[in-house]
Amino acid sequence: MSPDRIFNLGFDLATTISILALVSLGLAVIFGMRGVINLAHGEFIMLGAFATLSGTRNGLNIWLAMATAAAVVGLFGIVVERLIIRRLYGRLADTMLATWGLSLIMVQMVENRYGSVTEGIPVPVGNFTVGEFSMSKYSLVLMASAVLGVLATYTIMRRTRYGLLARAATQSSTMAEGLGVNTSVVNMWTFGLGSALAGAAGALLAPVVGVIPTMGQTFIARAFMAVIVGGPSFVLGTVSASGLLGFIENIGTNWFTPVIGQAMLLMAAIVVLRFLPQGITGTRFRR
Amino acid sequence: MRDQREMTRDLLSRVAAGSGATPAAGSVRSDLGGAVLAFTAVAVLGNWVQEFTAFEWSLWAVQAILALSLTLVWGYGGIFSLGQAAIYGIGGYTYGFWAINLADNTGESLTAVLAAVAVGAAFSALLGYFMFYGNITDVYVAIVTLATSLVLFAFMNSTSGSAYRIGDAAFGGYNGMTRIPRITWRLPGGESHELTRTQFLLFCVAAGLLIAVGIRVLARRPFGRIAVALQHNELRTGLLGYDVRWHKLAVFTIGGAIAAFAGALFAAWGRFMSPTVFSLAPAALVVIWVLVGGRNSVAGAFVGVLVVKGFSSWFGGASGDNEPIVLGVILILIVLALPGGIVTNIFKLKHWALNLISPSRDRLDAEVELATQQAAVYRPEPVVSQTEPRSDINLSTPESAIPTLKSAQPRARLIATAGLTKRFGGLAAVDAVTLEFPRGVSCLIGPNGAGKSTLLDLLSGRQNPTAGTVTLDSQDLTNRKPFLRARSGVGTKLQVASVYESLTVRENLWLACYAMPRDTQQADQRVEGLLDWLDLCEEAEQAAGTLSHGKKQWLEIGMVVATDPSIMLLDEPTAGMTRTETQRTAALVRQLGENASVVVVEHDMDFVRQLDAPITVLHMGSMFTQGTFDELANNDRVIDIYLGSHHGNSVSDASSADAGGSSDADA
Amino acid sequence: MAFIRRRVRPTWKALAVATIATALLAAGCGDDEDDDPAPAATSQQETTPAEPDSSSGTDTDSTDNMSSDDPDEAAEPAEPDMSDEPDEPEDSPEPEPAPAEPVNSEPIRVGSLLDETGPLNIYGTPMADATRLAIESINANGGVLGRQLELVALDSKSDQNEYIAGADQLVAEDLAVVHAGITSASREAIRPIFGEAELLYFYNVLYEGGVCDRNTFVTGVVPTQQLQVLIPWAVENYGPRLYVLAADYNYGQISADWVREYAAEAGGEVVGEDFFPLDVAEFGTTISEVQSADPDVVVSVLVGGAHMSFYSQYAASGAEIPVVSTSFGLGSEQVALDAASSEGIVVAYPYFEELDNSTNAAFTAAWQAEYGDNYPYITDLAVYVWEGWHLWADAVNSAGTLDREAVIAELETGTVSFDSPKGTVTMDGPSHHLVQPVSLARANDSNGFDVFETFENIPPSFEQQSCDLVANPDTNEQFTP
Repeated sequence: MSPDRIFNLGFDLATTISILALVSLGLAVIFGMRGVINLAHGEFIMLGAFATLSGTRNGLNIWLAMATAAAVVGLFGIVVERLIIRRLYGRLADTMLATWGLSLIMVQMVENRYGSVTEGIPVPVGNFTVGEFSMSKYSLVLMASAVLGVLATYTIMRRTRYGLLARAATQSSTMAEGLGVNTSVVNMWTFGLGSALAGAAGALLAPVVGVIPTMGQTFIARAFMAVIVGGPSFVLGTVSASGLLGFIENIGTNWFTPVIGQAMLLMAAIVVLRFLPQGITGTRFRR
Repeated sequence: MRDQREMTRDLLSRVAAGSGATPAAGSVRSDLGGAVLAFTAVAVLGNWVQEFTAFEWSLWAVQAILALSLTLVWGYGGIFSLGQAAIYGIGGYTYGFWAINLADNTGESLTAVLAAVAVGAAFSALLGYFMFYGNITDVYVAIVTLATSLVLFAFMNSTSGSAYRIGDAAFGGYNGMTRIPRITWRLPGGESHELTRTQFLLFCVAAGLLIAVGIRVLARRPFGRIAVALQHNELRTGLLGYDVRWHKLAVFTIGGAIAAFAGALFAAWGRFMSPTVFSLAPAALVVIWVLVGGRNSVAGAFVGVLVVKGFSSWFGGASGDNEPIVLGVILILIVLALPGGIVTNIFKLKHWALNLISPSRDRLDAEVELATQQAAVYRPEPVVSQTEPRSDINLSTPESAIPTLKSAQPRARLIATAGLTKRFGGLAAVDAVTLEFPRGVSCLIGPNGAGKSTLLDLLSGRQNPTAGTVTLDSQDLTNRKPFLRARSGVGTKLQVASVYESLTVRENLWLACYAMPRDTQQADQRVEGLLDWLDLCEEAEQAAGTLSHGKKQWLEIGMVVATDPSIMLLDEPTAGMTRTETQRTAALVRQLGENASVVVVEHDMDFVRQLDAPITVLHMGSMFTQGTFDELANNDRVIDIYLGSHHGNSVSDASSADAGGSSDADA
Repeated sequence: MAFIRRRVRPTWKALAVATIATALLAAGCGDDEDDDPAPAATSQQETTPAEPDSSSGTDTDSTDNMSSDDPDEAAEPAEPDMSDEPDEPEDSPEPEPAPAEPVNSEPIRVGSLLDETGPLNIYGTPMADATRLAIESINANGGVLGRQLELVALDSKSDQNEYIAGADQLVAEDLAVVHAGITSASREAIRPIFGEAELLYFYNVLYEGGVCDRNTFVTGVVPTQQLQVLIPWAVENYGPRLYVLAADYNYGQISADWVREYAAEAGGEVVGEDFFPLDVAEFGTTISEVQSADPDVVVSVLVGGAHMSFYSQYAASGAEIPVVSTSFGLGSEQVALDAASSEGIVVAYPYFEELDNSTNAAFTAAWQAEYGDNYPYITDLAVYVWEGWHLWADAVNSAGTLDREAVIAELETGTVSFDSPKGTVTMDGPSHHLVQPVSLARANDSNGFDVFETFENIPPSFEQQSCDLVANPDTNEQFTP
């Protein structure tokens, strides 16, 4: 295999993993910190994409539009948390039902507002060539964003006051409240952070996917696999699970066919859970 | 502390909010009566409406059967499966393959239904074996079942080629399998009859109602009670000697058979199967039906389907494009205002009214309450006067016999360890411990982190050792599962009382009594004796979670005793008890020691003194020394190791410091 | 039972509640029944008024003019229509409509079943709009056999089960014809139902081809029609090495087979082939593989929202191998993608809104008058529907009766043709598929297409060769290559 092909393969792999990490991170924060399975996660991503679209149409610079989109989705998440989710913590199935309902509403609302198809946005950067292969510079943006997103989340959780309180609330919300932490507010910010990350993922993907109201469903199943396979330590878990699953899918697609690649991803998720029932990072917890 | 009534109410509201089913009440006769009533109603209506309406209703009936499979698997078995729709799909395709190939020859398609049920059951047994014997639990089960569906979805979509066919039946890929025969029956030698639409509706409704009654019957049988028990407390169920994995597998397989049956009816209904059934939406829709209706009751399955379908049809028609919005809003409102589903709330109208006023407050309180309760185990608790037991209780009178099995002989046996080691990373929590626990009471003490609880876990089987062996008489127990150890006579009481919080005291004891002889009648009788012995007659119908800490500990000890163990492992039996309660417990433990080997891990040195038993001191994972209480109390080295981690002047001071602090570090 | 003393209220009460709910529901239906011979039951039903209302009068006029503007082709079927009108009363002791109707001023009831809500309404909405417009235009033009059409339209809500239930309901409605179905799965689910009920069925969608069923007529284009135009052009203009990317289901797989066949015929070869599950949205690896194989042209048969991402990612990667497609535009890809991603892709379809002819001009004008100027894009699906209705109306008028056998016989003569906005289309008798023009177009930088070449009378070659319903009327299957 020629060196340019090898570089090209690695580049594709990194792109796949970055996209998987981007779309999973927000879900992982919400699931990891609050045990909420947000079935509307895909629609939060979709909302991020549409918010970016609106931003650019209204003359915003694309990067600015993306940042705004993340913030808007984060705010939206906070509203959703206050109105619905905060009443449902600890009720896994009920949150799934409520967020499923939310996803139905969001898809239809966006469709009513934008129509079932609307014009997409162009990729803001060009491409480069290595040997025979030409590749998108935007993939570099995605990779950088994924790394940045993971680092930022890690820093927020480890180095800020909010992160400390949020982790405390996760470990024992009673204890945290006993220590005078307003866990309700902390939970609100946690959900907001997760939503903002989903929004950012949608914003970043907007130029390279078809922006349509039903786009969320494309990502949701895979994001779940990544989060669950990742396990309880969600930052590390998301990175490792995205890496593993992305690698397996890429290999399958490359050596065999995309169908087999996808089947291999799902099978890998099943097998990992069979042998590590709590996910990759679950082994360090005893129970 | 809030009073008992309020706590009970909170706990009930928690149960209502969907913490799972409790065993069904009522009798088969009343169930059948209801079923006949419902069937008659549908029969009358079905003959009255237009055929195509009956046709649409039969789809609802089929979907209700699918929902019932999830009610069983999830509501009663606690297995959150997203794969029911996939098994339904497998059932449908199997019916298709079988009926297309054979119906022309045999003149009937009922065997195809049976084939579908068999294949569905086999598939879910296989998947269930993979999951439950691999210890996959909770939401992970949901993900594995969903992933399985999606693999099937991708596969079935790619089967358009002519190579994919079984006999005359082509898979058809995305386009699906067509011209599947309707339900047809034929008496041997007679003519074959195809069910008309109205007949098909009645067939589906009758089948659905019978399955519903069957599930309720099952739930009342020991099998169902155990299934319900394990969803409330899997750990305790295993420690009582029930094979949790097997029960889950059985429930999942039966659920799979029901789902596949529904699938077969579906294929016969539409005469068509396509891979859509394996996609994400149907998987979630089944969950929605069950949640909307209420997963704790079989009626919930029917109500859920009717309500969701009804709303889609009516509101959908009126709102046009906005149907998804209407549906979404309804879902959210049901979750917020009617937690636990419609049926549960019809039963608890009063509670529902309360919830409307403050939707989340109640539950939150209940949870906080529970959490506080659990946290409170670690600290000495003020005497709760109103629950103070009468002084003349049986527990304190040594002559009252322990209500063991009449048949069983007292059989003290010897549990021993040899070179037992457990490492967590570089840390040896238990380090080459060789010990024997003979008949009678033995105490294990040691400072925090000495490895006491880990050692007990190794004995009970909750953890497997890194090296060394555990033997019971001559049997090697080292890597046996907890439930197998329980069956060979090892009873375990955990550090934090582990009982079925949402079930009543009586139900708790019944489950323990049934565990060993597996005899319903005997269990029913022995429960009464145990209630009496534990002095819990008054609280018998109360949810165990509402008991005071002392009583909860007793209940757990009672449950361990009920399994008639020859070895009893008691981890801090007096935690959270008042002084009087502690004294009574000491008498009880001594009494138990007469017939069994009792290993007690304890911090409370007063209690240890009262037991008057040989003591083993553990330190840093290995055996430090052994002796009587008085010997050890005067042993400077023992006092030193306690002083090494605590600042007290005597062993008993150190113990009170221990009791106050968290003992989690033992792990 | 000793076990439980705390009784939960027995569940049969809940069943009773369910029963009451059922009763209420039934009562709802019952009411309908009392005053309406054809109950709407629980599905959405809308009825297009028999006479055009005043507000849309002008629009329908224009459609009217449109048809009569082109006497050369349209006149044939249209004229009998007019002349039939007075004959009508004697002419129709129709066997089809059930109760004996005294005079034939009664409207003819016709059915439609499409996904107007849910994810598939991308396709369903324009088709439903076209259905209403077609019925209005036919009614304004004098109706069929002098009678007005009354539309019974059900919404299948992008749900397979709704198709089956809806088809069953339509069968009970006493209709003359049904135009229904979007996805191939939905067609396969309902086709047998209409076949058994002997209710004439039109399927007006582009699809994978091969359906051979006496009761079914197809106006949609099939892969052989698109590919026999597109592939030779691609080989000639770009080069002989083709790389095929297709959706991993019947349509994609069958199309890929035909690409291979037509490529060989045109002296080219397929150097690579990849199939994608419908929810794949990440194409990085594939794009690399394409670059690695270095073909002269990429043939895309990717379908659906997720696959749309391919075009963005392909453009972003800077790969310069040209793309041709038989599916780009089906989901309005040229609108949803930014211009950079779609510009230059060459497609082959029978209809483009941009087609420059007078029929199309009248058609788009009528459409915009009805549905507004900023209607996203009139899809080719909408035009198949338009043709389906008109072909059926013309056939009935020529046959002079609603009798199914007579109408099928008329359609099988191979002479029923219609002046469609895309040019003349003719129903091919033996195959029940449409001979129609196919145009090549290139996506431009303003979310539209530039048509650069039109090929008239392209036959559905595979269907013609595999299916002869005139000779073998009992055939009923879907042939695959």
